Amino acid sequence: MRKWKLFITAIFLGSGFLFAQNRELLYDFTEIPQAILLNPGIETTYSWYAGVPLASGIYAQAGSSGITVHDLFANDGVDFNQKVRTRALDGMTKRDEFGATVQVDLLHGGFRSGKNPDIFYSFGVYFESNTILYWPQDLAYLAFDGNADQLGRRFDLGHLKTRGEGLTVFHFGINKVMDRNLTVGARAKLYSGIYDFHSSTNSGYFVTEEGQNNLLSHTLDADMQLRTSGLEEIRAILDDESSGSVGGVISKRALFGGDLGLGIDLGFTYQLNSQTVITGSLLDLGFVYHSGDVKAYTLQGRATTEGVEAILPDAFDDANSDFWQDLVDEIEAQLPFEDNNSSYITFRPTQLYGSIRYNFGEPVGGEIDCDCDIGVTDADVRTPYRNATGLQLHAVSRPRGPQAALTAFYLRRFGNILSLKGTYTVDKFSMTNLGLGMNIQAGPVNFYVLANNLLGYQNLADSHYASFQIGLNILSWGANR
Amino acid sequence: MKKIQYLLLFLFLSITSSCVEEQNFDQFNDLDIIPTVEASILYVESPESVINGAPGAVWYIQTFNFDAFSEQFFADNVLDGVITYELENTTSKPLEILFEYLDDAGNVLDTEFFSLDPAPTAVLRRETAYGTPTGRSLDIIRNTSQVRVNARNLGDNNSVSSLPDPMIIFRSSGKFRLRLK
Repeated sequence: MRKWKLFITAIFLGSGFLFAQNRELLYDFTEIPQAILLNPGIETTYSWYAGVPLASGIYAQAGSSGITVHDLFANDGVDFNQKVRTRALDGMTKRDEFGATVQVDLLHGGFRSGKNPDIFYSFGVYFESNTILYWPQDLAYLAFDGNADQLGRRFDLGHLKTRGEGLTVFHFGINKVMDRNLTVGARAKLYSGIYDFHSSTNSGYFVTEEGQNNLLSHTLDADMQLRTSGLEEIRAILDDESSGSVGGVISKRALFGGDLGLGIDLGFTYQLNSQTVITGSLLDLGFVYHSGDVKAYTLQGRATTEGVEAILPDAFDDANSDFWQDLVDEIEAQLPFEDNNSSYITFRPTQLYGSIRYNFGEPVGGEIDCDCDIGVTDADVRTPYRNATGLQLHAVSRPRGPQAALTAFYLRRFGNILSLKGTYTVDKFSMTNLGLGMNIQAGPVNFYVLANNLLGYQNLADSHYASFQIGLNILSWGANR
Repeated sequence: MKKIQYLLLFLFLSITSSCVEEQNFDQFNDLDIIPTVEASILYVESPESVINGAPGAVWYIQTFNFDAFSEQFFADNVLDGVITYELENTTSKPLEILFEYLDDAGNVLDTEFFSLDPAPTAVLRRETAYGTPTGRSLDIIRNTSQVRVNARNLGDNNSVSSLPDPMIIFRSSGKFRLRLK
């Protein structure tokens, strides 16, 4: 049981609390091959690339919107219970969330078609896990304060919302230059679900009121559900109820031995004029069908009780009955807690990106900007300018509705060797999110590092948000068109 | 070229000079999660006609199985609490109610005695503390698995109160602090 609890804790803390998922530094950073994962319709200028296995894209993001580690655990001499009371219980609302995403490229590559150089193919496999937990405000108050002296207060069970998943994604994308101004792309994805849990459609309440007969009346009106997939087999192993290894189960499920799903990414890049570009992409429009190792728990119904009741003379007829057990049975009948193994479908957290970019300064390489053909090899390829600035929008579907972020960015290229991108992002987690990304091209070796919320690095424990991405690729420049 | 160097330096410093102010995670051990929960326990009502119809003085005696207190989670975590009783007698008779706490074997752990004058009487309300410095032992609560109500009629068997719908009502609830962490 202890190992099982550790495993659950690891899922929440290790694979992390899924967060905004916004990767504003990587988006439209065309020098980095992994940017194609955020927009399959990006402008590609290389003839091929190959990510270093397990190192081409390592991405982690974590944070919390309402509280930081420092808020609670700072060595400030303030009573810990007081900090929990004022900063967590009274300081957070049901809209506050904890989350993170981890994504690791296992394999990633791309190449330009030999027959049609306007087409660029990309493919790969990556592991992704994410989890989100909204602050269950009313349930937290119930746990910390109880229901005493709270007559009439409805504790909202709908405040419990959480979702998490771990999966392997196999993808194959096509990027095509339609004409000098438009590039489009699409990517097919095959999901192999490793684990999933979600409890995001809960509703109901618990309330204590003055009783009609007895002193108090308690009502629980619940429509709650927790669905899991891929966890039961691991639990059995950790509890020594089943043979095998956790690693074996995860490996099997990561390679199509678990839940399967399909999805697509769509994207485009459109050149409004010689210097202005708009882009957009829709990612993870798909689903996963959970059919193996499924376990769901439900609590649905409504029960009101005022304790054990004996109303004479009717109670004389039941003098030998077990009033307490009758009460328990009655509540369980009205409010059954059940489990089942029914398959279910989850939809991926679909993401939307959009941007407008204005390029300015001299084109890289020093060619004169004549507002004419500045292609490297022919008229269909545009040479990037030294500078670019613009706005990016990101939105992702979440259990409590879409969540958006707006980013202003500035991109600076230093020859063909170095590119830097700075961002300022505003979202629900931070108004001071400054990010900086660096891409270095040393011959065929491409290395990039992207870090977000740099001000938070002064004291990571006091940061609401942090993300980091690093990667290593081998690539060959030149569109060869 | 100098600009590049400055930018690289800034990036390098930003990422590598990140620091984490000292945190004291041992504080978590100090966290107290002690909710106060309350719930109704037992409700008994009897019209005066039932009392009049009983042959002897003891017109009602009933033992109720009551496992709420002895449930392991409750018994392990309860810190202290108060049980509230409220009795209302609108019959024409003086009554005595004996409320007893019993363990699994039927041994009496604690008693609560109520003497009620005939109507019109005010509602009798009493609070009994357990586990507090001046209260009774918390072990009484932890070991209780049954409660017994013993009701005696100290009056006659034929008078009827002039109040509408005369009856004796026994209400009770418990309010306890539990240590969850």
